[in-house]
Amino acid sequence: MAGEVLAHLLEFQPSAPEVQQKREYDAAARQFVAKVSNISHPHFLKGAETSGDVLEILHPESNSIAYIFALHARISALSDAKFQKGIPDQLRPGGYIWNKVENFMQNFDPVQVRYVGQEWRRLMDYLERVARLMGSPGVAISPIRSGLLRLDPLSGTFTLTHLYFIRLCMETRSYTAALPILDNYISSLPSTLPAAILQGMEYSSPSANHVVSGEYIHAKSGHTDKITMADVQEYYVLGAMAYLGLSQFNKAKQFLEHALVAPANNVANGLMLEAYKKWVLLSCLVDGTIKGLPRTANTAAIKQIRTSSKAYEALADAYTQLRNLPKLKAQINAGKDLWAEDGNTGLVKELLEQQQKLYISWLSRTYSAIPVTNFAGNLGLTKDELTGKLEELINKGQLNATIQRSGAGDILRFFLDPTQGPLAKTETQQQQALYEQTQRTNLLAEQVKSADYRLSLTKEYIEHIKRQNKKMAANASGEPMDTTWDDGMEAEEDLMGDLH
Amino acid sequence: MAANVESSPFFQSQRAKGCIVVKDPPKFDLESYISNYDGQTRLDRLYHIGASSTYLAVDAYRMAIKEAKKGKDTKLYLALVEDFANIAPQDPLALTDMSWVERKNREVKEEQDKLEHELKSYKNNLIKESIRMGNEDLGHFYYAIGDLSNAHKAYYRMREHCTSNKHLTDMSLRLVYVSIAQKAWMGAQSHLAKIDAAGKGDDKTKLEPIVSAVLGLTHMGAGNLREAANSFIGTSPNYLSLEATAGIVWQREVVSGNDIAVYGGLCALATMERSELQQFVLANSDFRNFLELEPHIRRAITLFCNSKYSACLEVLEGYRTDYLLDVYLSRVLATIYSRIRTKSIVQYFIPFSCVTLDEMATKFQLTGEYGSIEEELEDMINSRILDARIDLVDRLLISPPTNPRYSVHADALHMAEDYDHTLRLRLTRLNLLSAGLEVRAEKGQGKESSGGLQEGLSASLRGFGSRMGF
Repeated sequence: MAGEVLAHLLEFQPSAPEVQQKREYDAAARQFVAKVSNISHPHFLKGAETSGDVLEILHPESNSIAYIFALHARISALSDAKFQKGIPDQLRPGGYIWNKVENFMQNFDPVQVRYVGQEWRRLMDYLERVARLMGSPGVAISPIRSGLLRLDPLSGTFTLTHLYFIRLCMETRSYTAALPILDNYISSLPSTLPAAILQGMEYSSPSANHVVSGEYIHAKSGHTDKITMADVQEYYVLGAMAYLGLSQFNKAKQFLEHALVAPANNVANGLMLEAYKKWVLLSCLVDGTIKGLPRTANTAAIKQIRTSSKAYEALADAYTQLRNLPKLKAQINAGKDLWAEDGNTGLVKELLEQQQKLYISWLSRTYSAIPVTNFAGNLGLTKDELTGKLEELINKGQLNATIQRSGAGDILRFFLDPTQGPLAKTETQQQQALYEQTQRTNLLAEQVKSADYRLSLTKEYIEHIKRQNKKMAANASGEPMDTTWDDGMEAEEDLMGDLH
Repeated sequence: MAANVESSPFFQSQRAKGCIVVKDPPKFDLESYISNYDGQTRLDRLYHIGASSTYLAVDAYRMAIKEAKKGKDTKLYLALVEDFANIAPQDPLALTDMSWVERKNREVKEEQDKLEHELKSYKNNLIKESIRMGNEDLGHFYYAIGDLSNAHKAYYRMREHCTSNKHLTDMSLRLVYVSIAQKAWMGAQSHLAKIDAAGKGDDKTKLEPIVSAVLGLTHMGAGNLREAANSFIGTSPNYLSLEATAGIVWQREVVSGNDIAVYGGLCALATMERSELQQFVLANSDFRNFLELEPHIRRAITLFCNSKYSACLEVLEGYRTDYLLDVYLSRVLATIYSRIRTKSIVQYFIPFSCVTLDEMATKFQLTGEYGSIEEELEDMINSRILDARIDLVDRLLISPPTNPRYSVHADALHMAEDYDHTLRLRLTRLNLLSAGLEVRAEKGQGKESSGGLQEGLSASLRGFGSRMGF
């Protein structure tokens, strides 16, 4: 390893006093990236696997930019991009390079990596591709997840990596592993930001302290390829299925709604249909009945979907008929093939289970105490089966009641006061929940602000403002206000000139 | 006799049709009851009583048939005789008097020709007033022979030939009158609204009682009990002594003062709170005049206001038969009674935290609609009328404890989550829009493409649910 090259690689020091200003940091980082990307691969390979190895000398956190280029040089030296000749040992999971990549994903400096988006994405692709080719996609889940979270602790900007990640999780049925990503709300999509604000500005350069990642992960930052509608929707549908696998029905339902509100030119696509079918069933499981779809959904598209999911709506209708419990069973049997074909059999079965629970909670709205024998027949269970079931529900914390054993038979007694019984929440718990909700809302407000900001930078918005101002000027003509508005407008135009 | 009537083919078919059939003798005397009414409503009421009460059927039909023969409506006569023949075939009046029918039919035809001819000649002469009167005569004529829709049309044709306000209101009143006979409540209401809007000065004081009484009737017929109650209790006592307006003595030919007391009182009981009843009904000096005609209604309302619900229900229950025989009340009586009953139960339960079911059962005697008091209470709770829970083990009705502090917290949390989610959905949509993404139909394929895509997708996702392991 030539000392000169090494000196180059260590040139950029994020903690150096001269780059403490964000603007200087930005300029230095850009320069450095340009420089390092021009270093040819053989330089990185010198002294590989000796004590002079670049990967040993450089530190993944403080020299993230240099490190990522070094990793790429090593990978491409060992194999071609498509791994046609098979995967060398070093690149396999557990191999030297793989471990280095994994380590890098956990430790890189998030600010530096904002400047090398493309390289970051290529590393992610490498992890995914190798894991797949090795036939064990599961091994890539953890490093990809740490990569995503390291870059953006809220993983709130959608990238294709999100989609690949959730695909991997679904294929390996590692639903719990997907949660750290799924639980983060996608608050922005990579958008096209004007180049002017990305460079050399103290508060909007990638190196600035951003709350929302949408300001440094964008269409040109290289962190993701071009995203299509289907990608986003697929992410939400798969995410919903992961939640389903964990029986988190409410979250699953909310995810499906994200897929359903997608702007549509009066047509629906297959993913929306898929989402709607599941949504109908989930709506029953969560709310006990079909509540309205979010109002922002495109009505024409939803109409289209609904005509082709009549069977599901019939099922939901049967579900709510608590006075006629056998109807649901009959409906389920009638559409058996359909559920199986749509891959919803499990969910439909769950519906049958949940209906009993719904029935019992419905009883709690009418009775405070009722002998178990009174309604065992309605549910088609024997007295003992029902008692067992009720106990299970109570123990799981899904039913706020107790079972009283008496000589005449068992009695189900509901707790009328919400502050009593096994499900009761104390005031502190409630306060805690409210506090957490406040936190979430505040964060959301930040995200909205950022979305608003990004939106205000689009061409369309500026044209809209221009039109508005013209209108205002026309309306206020003759008054002293007139001139001031004109001034404002010219300023806007100047800004436009800078941007484009 | 009564047993015979009850099992007569007529009442059997009435029962089969689901019509109301009353067995018990009512409290009123038919003769004196019907002597309160004149004109078409007299026949209508007799017909209704005959067809509903097995006890009064024979008398009512006899009177109705005699009455019908005085008029020109042969169709009605034939219908009455046919029904009567099915009740008491051996009665002399049950035989159809064909010669009368034929003679009447001939006379009617002649009269119709004459009237139509007259109208034609008036029209040729283009004298507005004559045309108006010609139409009016024709309307009266159609009304008399029972052809209500033609009567309505004839009266309606008067409109363009009316020259004064009085003509207009007379015409509208006639239209209201016909609409009531047709039981076309909405139509009657719109005509009433016109009268109300047009009336001025002296006319107004004369018309106002009629409008409010009849409006009450139409609201009740249409099932809007609250509006009906408001109209009835706002009726001025002048109504009782009104002279004939538009040739109709309203208090004898449509609703009597007694009817207003009963209808108004019952509708108010069914829809008003205790304080409202006290304020608007009992303390209402106008309505007191009516209530004095029907003291038991007054008593029922007083009892309700004094929280003596079971006594109140008992009074009303005693008059159930009578009211079922009222031509207008019979249709809505079940609703009114059950509303009063459920309201009584709710009001009764308010001051208690817990009442035994047996106590409820003795306080509120079953009316036959439900098998037991539990079922009735269960139904009320399920339809969210009564906020209570039933303890089937200790046989108690329990008022659920409330904890406002807790529920406010829980509601706030719930609402925040809801808004949070809605906002997220909106933001997602906004992001998608700003990134220029949109679901579009694929070129040249339209709907098929979504089908194709769906298939491809289902193929890739097939079995996902079952593999997920629940």
